[in-house]
Formats: sequence, structure tokens, C-alpha cells
Amino acid sequence: MPGSLAKSLEKKLKSIVGETGVILDRDRLLAYESDGLTAYRSLPMAVVFPRDTIEVSKVLGLLSKEDIPVVPRGAGTGLSGGALADDRSVMVATSLMNRILTIDSDNRIALVQPGVINADLTEAVSPFGLYYPPDPSSQSACTLGGNVAENSGGPHCLKYGVTSRYVIGITVVTYDGTISRFGGFGRELGGYDIVGLFVGSEGCFGIATEIEVCLLPKPEGAQTLLAIFDRLEDAGKAVTTIIADGLLPAALEIIDGPTIKAVEESIYAGGYPTDAEAALVIEFDGIKAGLSADIERTTVHCREANARDISTAESEKEREVLWQGRKKAFGAMGRIAPDLLVQDATVPRSTLPDVLRRISEIGQSYKLVVANVFHAGDGNLHPNILFDRSDPDEVERVELASKEIMAVCVEAGGTITGEHGVGLDKLSYMSLVHSREELEAMQVVKRVFDPKGNMNPGKVIPDLSEDFS
Amino acid sequence: MNSIAEFLANKLSKRQVVDGSHTEGWAVCNRFPHAVVSPDNETQVAQILSLASAEGWVCVPSGKGTWLKGGHPPKAVDVVINMANMDHVSAYEPDDLFITTETGLGLDILSRYALDRGQWLPFDPPGVKGGSIGATISTASAGSLQAGFGRPRDHILGVTLATGDGRLLRLGGKVVKNVAGFDLLKLAIGSWGTLGVLTSVTVRLHPAPVLDRTLLFQGTDVSSAARLANAISRSRASFAAVEMITSGEQEDKGIYSLPFVAVRILEPLPVAEEITRIICEQVHATPFMCLEGKDSQLIFDDIQTMENNAEMVLRLSLLPSKLSNLVERTKELRELVDPNVDRGIRMAAHASTGVLRIMIARLNRRKGWLEMLASSLSNLRYLLESEGGSMVISQGPPEIVEIVGARGKLGSVTELMRGLQKEFDPSSILAPERIIG
Ligand SMILES: Cc1cc2nc3c(=O)[nH]c(=O)nc-3n(C[C@H](O)[C@H](O)[C@H](O)COP(=O)(O)OP(=O)(O)OC[C@H]3O[C@@H](n4cnc5c(N)ncnc54)[C@H](O)[C@@H]3O)c2cc1C
Repeated sequence: MPGSLAKSLEKKLKSIVGETGVILDRDRLLAYESDGLTAYRSLPMAVVFPRDTIEVSKVLGLLSKEDIPVVPRGAGTGLSGGALADDRSVMVATSLMNRILTIDSDNRIALVQPGVINADLTEAVSPFGLYYPPDPSSQSACTLGGNVAENSGGPHCLKYGVTSRYVIGITVVTYDGTISRFGGFGRELGGYDIVGLFVGSEGCFGIATEIEVCLLPKPEGAQTLLAIFDRLEDAGKAVTTIIADGLLPAALEIIDGPTIKAVEESIYAGGYPTDAEAALVIEFDGIKAGLSADIERTTVHCREANARDISTAESEKEREVLWQGRKKAFGAMGRIAPDLLVQDATVPRSTLPDVLRRISEIGQSYKLVVANVFHAGDGNLHPNILFDRSDPDEVERVELASKEIMAVCVEAGGTITGEHGVGLDKLSYMSLVHSREELEAMQVVKRVFDPKGNMNPGKVIPDLSEDFS
Repeated sequence: MNSIAEFLANKLSKRQVVDGSHTEGWAVCNRFPHAVVSPDNETQVAQILSLASAEGWVCVPSGKGTWLKGGHPPKAVDVVINMANMDHVSAYEPDDLFITTETGLGLDILSRYALDRGQWLPFDPPGVKGGSIGATISTASAGSLQAGFGRPRDHILGVTLATGDGRLLRLGGKVVKNVAGFDLLKLAIGSWGTLGVLTSVTVRLHPAPVLDRTLLFQGTDVSSAARLANAISRSRASFAAVEMITSGEQEDKGIYSLPFVAVRILEPLPVAEEITRIICEQVHATPFMCLEGKDSQLIFDDIQTMENNAEMVLRLSLLPSKLSNLVERTKELRELVDPNVDRGIRMAAHASTGVLRIMIARLNRRKGWLEMLASSLSNLRYLLESEGGSMVISQGPPEIVEIVGARGKLGSVTELMRGLQKEFDPSSILAPERIIG
């Protein structure tokens, strides 16, 4: 039945999720044509909107009987082409599964449906003095289900860790409709760490329909420092020495020259000097009594790395100004080029100066603008390549440059993705970091959850019948 | 030499194999292996496993051999793979805060290695301090520091796993953020050697704390101490650990005479002062003692090693807010304790996870003890599980653990776990019953 959903199946799906819970017409399907990585596009056969675990189970049970592939989707902000379905597949969207089921402030845990927006959870637990630490820059839009699937990070994950540290239990519906529950706070269960394994599985094992997360008390205070550098490499050096000195900022982000220019030329201008090659935004949080000492030590490191200007902020308002350039970077870049390829890789921090230099050389050799804005403290790079999709020559250069950038990161001891996942986009790079045996091991693990290979097919694991070395 | 030992000695070398008649020290939950083999490198580990796979020998890995009595007993053991020879540090990058080492390295040596360079490993798994890093990861053992720093899985960047059929898989890497493919690393951590033998590990290091401070608060009885521990763990102050400790009933010496709560703070002085103030203010209590440096560490060393001489160790859990209810539930266990032994029953509770450890020095072996013990433990597990909690027998007489099970039943996910295990160990030579039951 490729390309069209048989009437009888449509009727059955609607009997589960209601008349409005199934989208079939092309115009409305267009909204589901791609995720945040718009280079990949395809229209799903249909999009279905279940409201709870039971409905997901019934929907999957039905689709699996017909052998129809399933692609889960949260908010579609993913940057690796993960939530992409072709016309033989049905997309199961979690946007109606957006309820926070319980908040247990005594035990600092919450149980949520997967369609809850990341920032909404923090807002909901805020009256209890709590928050949910992983804070992807997309947090006002992305869902917790998407975060689980991608093991998302964010600026403050340097100190607090990424999603996998906070997910303590999940309910999963696998392709045949089976509902299983794993983990949970307050108990030590036998068996393997399936929660840990599921986090980062990119929708390939099943759909997370309920997620139990732990929360932290809001830090008492925060201080932010903005350091401006004439050379990007110097900013990279400052990052290395700050971390090597035993300082642990909550966030340590780099914004490079092209990004600063983009921001300053946009409505988000925050007063960063446009002739600078880099700015570091460094934030410390925690008990107020300790913050000034950390800021002072950090200032010394920045000075020693030739920072030309350093400013600090304590009040919420002042801090927002210093963060402006970082937070609005993606929005601003969208205004100076029609297309943007957000790359993602992690390298050991000490290699940052060298890797940044080599990325800049790659950009120059392909005549491309590469703008870096990234989680420097974690060594998690985002070299963003600005381009115009309508120019085939430029598209080809973007592809070649991306490939070289990935190779440089791997050569430096790093990996091909730190937080955006493999999806479709990084399939061809998987062999740079994994042996065939390791990829086969991933494949068999997927098969245990999804024997038919119909959960988000074609993602994460490259075609192993191809020859690669 | 028996045939297994001989076979292995021929493949490797005589020096690396201990014959069955000398393997008492290597009994796994009282099961004596036919041979103990000590590989020198990961290739040999893989070689041993593929041989065992072909021959159908059941293998159990061992680090320093200090906790082979722990966990669920394997049905049988043919070969113990002793990792003690594999204790080399292969990479240490202080600027990048990571270290890669073979897994036979003792945690004490690893910690000293890092501390000498101003760095630190926030691992304090229960047991002797010289247990291996490999065993810590393989059993996912976490001590009181997990309150402030997370579990071992949060610090492991990568491992090499030799699977049951002798493949060498490198899982994870050496960078702190890595989502290149499914997270098989998490699967390996806590797998109790049933998916393979961990041969090397890359661990994330932390800056060594500049100050070690412990506040001791007195509880008037166990329940009030549990409530106090819970209240402290919910304060907004950041601490490294909060433990509620009882000593053993017969005892009456010094600070151990009543239950107490130990709060560890690993922050610079001004922050430690502020945290101390916040805690005291929020729980309306004053510590009866404030220890620093070595004295502070000693308290937590004791908490770490208090399981060592116990005949039975249980881990009970409910949500942290129910810690005092959980403590109440343990009253019945007192009947199982040999009253003639000093420190008959001790308790230690991780206030932030709600896990209560019960250490029974010696079991009361009166007539019918086995049945009574099995039924008490099964009842306790049933009660806790029905409230969303759990009971784990961390160590105990194998005959009991076999009847009751080290952990509760996996239920509907058993098949999935089995399926995963089979993929890593197709010939089932890695004693899957240790984790799947
Ligand atoms: C401007 C911008 C900034 C960003 N910044 C960051 C950042 O700082 N850090 C970071 O890590 N990422 C960042 N991202 C990437 C993205 O926001 C994250 O990957 C996010 O977690 C995706 O969530 P989503 O709800 O949009 O998921 P989607 O894009 O809808 O889906 C992503 C993947 O998750 C799967 N999935 C979704 N829901 C479920 C479910 N319930 N069960 C199983 N699988 C599911 C999908 O199949 C897909 O494979 C950014 C993206 C943008 C556009």
C-alpha cells in the first residue's frame, strides 16, 4: 500500500485517535516534511496523533500488522534528519501527549508524557524551587521525548550532564504494540540498564510514552562573564586552561567572529564588538558565596589567553545581555544566508585551538562561511556552514567541507556527533568512529527491540552490506 | 591439571593458569572453578572467551577477587578470568580530565594516581577500597558520593568489551558528549560480566576537592535520624553525600552509640561555610561534630567499608521521602541476627536515593533458619515491590540467595533482556542467570 493509507486502515486509526487525530492531506503533511535539518525532505504517508500510552500501543499494533514503518516525532527540531518519514511510513507525533502527569517535589521527580516541551517542565516545577537541568538551545520548542531520543545536551550540561543523567524511568511501546516499563526512582531493579540504552536510540527501538525524570533545586545564584578575543585560537586556549585548572562553570560557550557579525547585524544586536574573532560566555552558578572567587580565577585565565575585554554580570537582566549573542545566534544566521548546515562533533577540549584553526582553513579552501557557536567546555563543536541550497556547486562544497571537518574531529580523538544524533545525516560518517563489528552489535540490539526493522528505519546504522573501511 | 586448565595453559602459558585444586580463593558464591586464568592483554581475553564459547565453559570475570561472594550465584563456574594482570594506565590526559586504564587496576591505586595530579574520581563503591575499577563498573556499584556526583555510568566515557564469543567492541570514546550510535556503553555498565569482559575503561576525572568537611547530626532514634537525613537531602544546599548510619545494637561507644546523619561537603571554605549554615537553618539542627580533612574522610571510609565483614548485606529501597517507613520495615529482620555477635545489625541509608543498606554480621542459625530467612526476605521483597520499591541481596549465603534471588523478578521484560544477552554471548557461557535470574 505504498504512498496511500488504505481506507480501512484510516478508519481503524481514527477509531483509536479520533477523526482529527490523523492527517492525510498533502497540504497539511507538508509541515512534517522535514525536521530542523531542512536539507532532507520527504512526505510521510500519514501523521497520527495519539494521546496516551494505550493509544500509541493500539496504533503501533495496527500498523505492525500491516507491516507499515513508523517514525516517531516530537517537535521536529532535530538536526540530523531523524524525524523523517517517507511515503511508505506513518509518522506518530507526540504533540497531543503533552501532559505533565505528576510532580513529586519531595522526591524531586516528575513523570511526563513525551510531547511536553522541555522549557514547560522547568516552568511547571519552578514554584517548588526546582528545575530540569538539560537545556538544549531549542528548549522552548523541543520535546522531552525528542530529548530522550537524541540524548540532548545544552549550554548548562557542562556542569550538570546531559539528558541520560536525568531520565530514571521510561514506558516504551515497541513496534508490535507491546508496552514495557523500565527503571523508576526508588528501586533497584535487576537486568540491564535499558533506560540508559534507550536514551539516544533516536526512535529506532520504540516510542517513549511516559518519561520519569529527576529534577534539581534551582541554584542560589549565578554570575556570567563575557570575554572578547582577537583570535579564535586564544579563546580555545582559555577554555582548556579554565577546565584544566579545576574550575567547573555551569556553561562555557564560544561565539566566533562570523556569528558575532551575524548577531550584531540583526535585531538581536547585543553590543559585541564586530571586529572580534571570538567571545566566550562563561557562567558559574551555585552557592553565591563561591561565585566571585570562580569568576576571578576565570578572569585571570582569560587575560592570560589575551582576552582584550572582559565584562561580568550578576543580575538576571545583565546576564541576559551577555547571553544575547549566544542565544540568538541561530536566528541571526538565518537572516544572512538562505540555508544553514548546523554541524555537530565533539573533540577533547585540549585540541580545540588546533581543531578550530583547521576548520577555519577548511572553510576558506571551499570558499564557505563557517560560523562557530558551541558548547566549548564540553568540546562540543557546532561549525555552522552558511550556504544557498539553490546553488548546486555550493551544496557540493558544503558536503565536502562537512566531511573534512568530521575527519579532523575524529582524528583529534573526537566523535562525529555530540548531541544532535546520527539520524540520516551522519550515516556515512559512522564508519569513521565504529568498526563493522560495533555497528553490527548496534544492529542486533535494535533487532531485539524491533525484529522487523520497522521503527524509524534507515536511521543511525549505515547499510552494512556496503563495503567500508 | 584438569583438562580445562591444561587446555588453557597450552594456549596461553602455565604461568597464567591456576589449576582446579588451588582455586578455593576464587570461588564465586561458593562455586569452585576448574581453572583460573590471568590474561595479559585484551587479545588474550578475547581468545579465552572464544575458546570457552566453543567448549561451552562457563566463565566469570574477576577483578581483584574481593567480592566474588556478591550477587546472584551462577549455576556453575568453569573458568574465572582474573583481570589482575591487566592493570596498566594506557592514557592520562589531565587537561582533558580523563584517564584510560585496563580494568584490573585497583580503585585505590587509580584514585591515588589521579590525586597525585590534583584530580579525583568520585567513586566510593561499598567494599574494600582496593577493588578493581572493572568490577565497579561491571556491577555498577555506587557509594554515598552518588548523591553529589552521580552514578558510575555518569563518569564512564568508554570501555572495551570482549563479548562472550570473543569480539572486541569499543563502546563510547574519550569525549564527554557522544551520541554516535546506540549507547551500548550503558548496557555494558552494570551487566555483571554477563555480556562480556570489560578490558579497558576511560573514566572522566574531576578536580580534587580542596576541602573535605563532614557534619554529624545526632538522631534520637532511627526513624528520626532517617527523617533528618531526608530533610537534609532535600535542602537546596549542594552536598557530596548524606548518609544515615546506625551502629549495631549492642554497641555503645563514642559517636556510634546512637543513629547519626553524616553530611559530606566537598567545596571551598566559603561555600562549605554557607552550605553548613543553610543546612542547619533548614533542618533546625546543629551538628554535634564538624570534621575536616582526614577525619572527615575516615567517617566515609567507614561507611564505604562497613559491608566487608557482614555475612549478609541487603539493599532495600523506596522513594527517599519514605526512608523512615523503610527503616520501620526492618524491625522483623532483627530476629534473623545472631544476638551473640557484636554489631549484630548495622544500617546505612543513602538519603538522596532512598536506598537502605542492612548489614547483618552473622545470621542466627537456629533450627529451621533457612526457611525462616527465605520467607522473611521474600515477604519483605513482596511488600517493598508492591509499594514501588525493591530489595536486593547484595551478598549472603548462596543457598539463600538462590532461593530468594539476588534481585526481584524482571517480569514481562525478561525476554527482552534474554534477547540482548544472547546477542553478546550466543553460547551462554557468561552465566546470564546472574542478572536475568
Ligand atoms: C535552534 C536549535 C538549537 C538546538 N540546540 C540544541 C542544543 O543545544 N542541544 C541539543 O542537544 N540539541 C539541540 N538542537 C536539536 C534538537 O532540538 C534536539 O535534538 C531535540 O531533542 C529534538 O527534540 P524534538 O522534540 O524536536 O524531536 P524531533 O526532531 O521531533 O525528533 C528527533 C528524534 O527523536 C525521535 N523521537 C521523538 N519523540 C520520540 C519519542 N517519544 N520516542 C522515541 N523517539 C522519539 C524522532 O524519531 C527523531 O529520531 C537544536 C535545534 C535547533 C533547531
